[in-house]
Amino acid sequence: MANRDPTSWMRAEYESLVAQSLDWKLRVLQGPSAPRSIVDGKTVIMLCSNNYLNLSNHPKVKRAAREAIKTHGAGSGSVRPIAGNMDLHEELERRIARFKRREAALFYMSGFAGNAGLISQLAGDGDAILTDELNHGSIIDGVRLTKAQRIIYRHRDVGDLERALKEADVSAKKILVVSDGVFSMDGDIAPVGEIAKLSESFGAMVYIDDAHGEGVLGDGGRGVASHFHVEEKIQVELGTFSKALGVVGGYVAGSNDLRNYALNKSRTWLLSGSHPPAVTAACTAAIDVLETEPRHVKKLWSNTKYFKKRLVSLGFDIGRSETPITPVMLGDSATAKRFSDRLFEEGVFALPIVYPMVAKDKARIRNIVNAGLKRQDLDDALAAYEKIGKELSVIA
Amino acid sequence: MRRLGFIVNPIAGMGGRVGLKGTDGVVDEARAAGADPVAPTRARAFAETILALSRGDPSLSIRWLTAAGPMGMEPLGAAGVDEERCEIINRPPEPTTAEDTRRAVEACIDRGAELVLFCGGDGTARDVAESARDRAPILGIPAGVKMYSAVFAVSPQAAAELTLAYLRGRLRIGSAEILDLDEDAYRRGEWRIALVGTAKTLVEPTLVQAGKLQVAEVTEESTREELADHFRELFAAEPDTLFFLGPGSTIASIATVLGLEKTLLGIDAVLGGRTVAKDVDERSLLRLLDQHPKAKLVVSPIGAQGFLLGRGNPEASPDVLRRIGTRNVIAVATPAKLAMTPVLRVDTGDAALDEEFRRREYLFVLIGYRTSKLHPIQR
Repeated sequence: MANRDPTSWMRAEYESLVAQSLDWKLRVLQGPSAPRSIVDGKTVIMLCSNNYLNLSNHPKVKRAAREAIKTHGAGSGSVRPIAGNMDLHEELERRIARFKRREAALFYMSGFAGNAGLISQLAGDGDAILTDELNHGSIIDGVRLTKAQRIIYRHRDVGDLERALKEADVSAKKILVVSDGVFSMDGDIAPVGEIAKLSESFGAMVYIDDAHGEGVLGDGGRGVASHFHVEEKIQVELGTFSKALGVVGGYVAGSNDLRNYALNKSRTWLLSGSHPPAVTAACTAAIDVLETEPRHVKKLWSNTKYFKKRLVSLGFDIGRSETPITPVMLGDSATAKRFSDRLFEEGVFALPIVYPMVAKDKARIRNIVNAGLKRQDLDDALAAYEKIGKELSVIA
Repeated sequence: MRRLGFIVNPIAGMGGRVGLKGTDGVVDEARAAGADPVAPTRARAFAETILALSRGDPSLSIRWLTAAGPMGMEPLGAAGVDEERCEIINRPPEPTTAEDTRRAVEACIDRGAELVLFCGGDGTARDVAESARDRAPILGIPAGVKMYSAVFAVSPQAAAELTLAYLRGRLRIGSAEILDLDEDAYRRGEWRIALVGTAKTLVEPTLVQAGKLQVAEVTEESTREELADHFRELFAAEPDTLFFLGPGSTIASIATVLGLEKTLLGIDAVLGGRTVAKDVDERSLLRLLDQHPKAKLVVSPIGAQGFLLGRGNPEASPDVLRRIGTRNVIAVATPAKLAMTPVLRVDTGDAALDEEFRRREYLFVLIGYRTSKLHPIQR
């Protein structure tokens, strides 16, 4: 008989994470994710949700979820390919395609499931995948599932991408270029226009994960491809309903061929139970709101500009951000953690991003501006920043 | 209580000030020229920094295993380290020798040192690495004339910070190259630097994004497994290609995973997944190339310095490289090693051949299973 303990390794691993302060300490949200939320019993200004447009609280979106439960029930009963393909799913995919000005779309369980399930099917042995070094973990996992040659190019470096394309051009059958549209740690935007044009000249397929650009960038929040006017040169746009659209679920948008291929090949899609009616209908309603109420995107940007301008005039360094993701660079991890703790005490919820998520000297607080924040909320948050910044000698 | 070894080479660095490019074999000459020892001050600065940074943190209680006199206890005492916290492992008579260093290192490890700190230069690193024999990691406090080996911190203060980071569990153990310059040749005007061995040292874990807001450490071991998978497939896919595996710890450890016995400091030849020749010299390389015209050379850059060709692998002569073809040179490195290597260098001794590499500006470096990254070559 083996002298084997089946589970003690888990505690050992966990304790080692705790010893290195690398474990997640979960905070509890009591009530909705809103501009002012109750977190661990305290009312705080929410500066770390991805709910950019506050659509999770929009009356039309909530009503759609309630109605769908009445008409279609709580669950879908099956995976889509067998018996879980509801009219609500088909309707949502038509609406996504129309919104994205594409032929077709496919709704996934999450953005992660989209990347992991689709990238792994778009390239194989003899092909090449070119990927930005700071791409999201779900892209990395999708890439790791293939037998394609993988070339990692430097962050947003079009020259490096061109060299990689030339190398891949020599031997690869198919070439796939994958990039985030907006990078979630710094809030910087990929040079999607140049990526698209360069890839086109090599006959490479372009795949953009626009999780943080959807509802934020482009015409009416249509995303990064629209922002750069290169929609027809991007073959795969991956998006999510869990961020600006305020619900949950991922999707890919592109050609009919892409949809047909993806729904026959993506195992994460084929083998997951389909989204429940409430979620699906709420997603459709969120697109409806985006199409009919342009004020939310406008408000997001006016809030972003105000918040960033005031932070800079207070003397804070906001890094290379070009989007509502607004880092406040603080240097070492201890300062960032202390700063975040003090913010919470002062009624502001913004998480520190520290080593090892970013380099040791690049620790920061990451703020995500929200369209639902009122001028008073922003001023209160800025007052807390000023107070703590002086207290910790980050600003003069 | 953490047990750390602390060994100082009291004469390290003496040759530098008086232009001797090293202290090997010229101590008396250096003394006569008025050279002062560098190591005692550096060793003391290291100990002072450790004391200052660990004050108030009871979890960092250190027991120093060290030699009596200038080889350890003197600088520790001068920095204010309490004698109660020190354990004298030997009492070498003065003047001390390389043999004393070796004995002291072995004694430290025998008595349970989990890390050996040493103060000196490349020559000291070589002695320490040889006696540590991978039983414990080593970390150099720089005090020599030359410090090409990848086991040195950039300053005594940095060595102290690295040590504390290790004790707090933030660093991992990886391997690094020990290099040394042939000092006799250097004094004759030749710059000849050679890979003389490898040692375990402290490395920062390489971090990759593994999920949303979540980062996973990739250990050197798992990278090597991945690289081994890559080569296993490559050997199988190209059964008639002769693979020359270059020197160094990265390639040796990949070979170990593949079940190949690899010469650490030499070039071995592999065909169809089996070793067909070991530690081949230039002549044998050329002869093997006559029999197997299809060949590839696998090399790894020397950590930090970035030499891919022309250092540590003289057997891969310009003739050999031309026969193999520069396109058939496969560069391989772990992500951690590549991250600390700003630029790749080639110095084959043949300007036209070097130019052929340098014209490309960038080389693809294999860093994982079917995964490569572009890295610049020095112009």
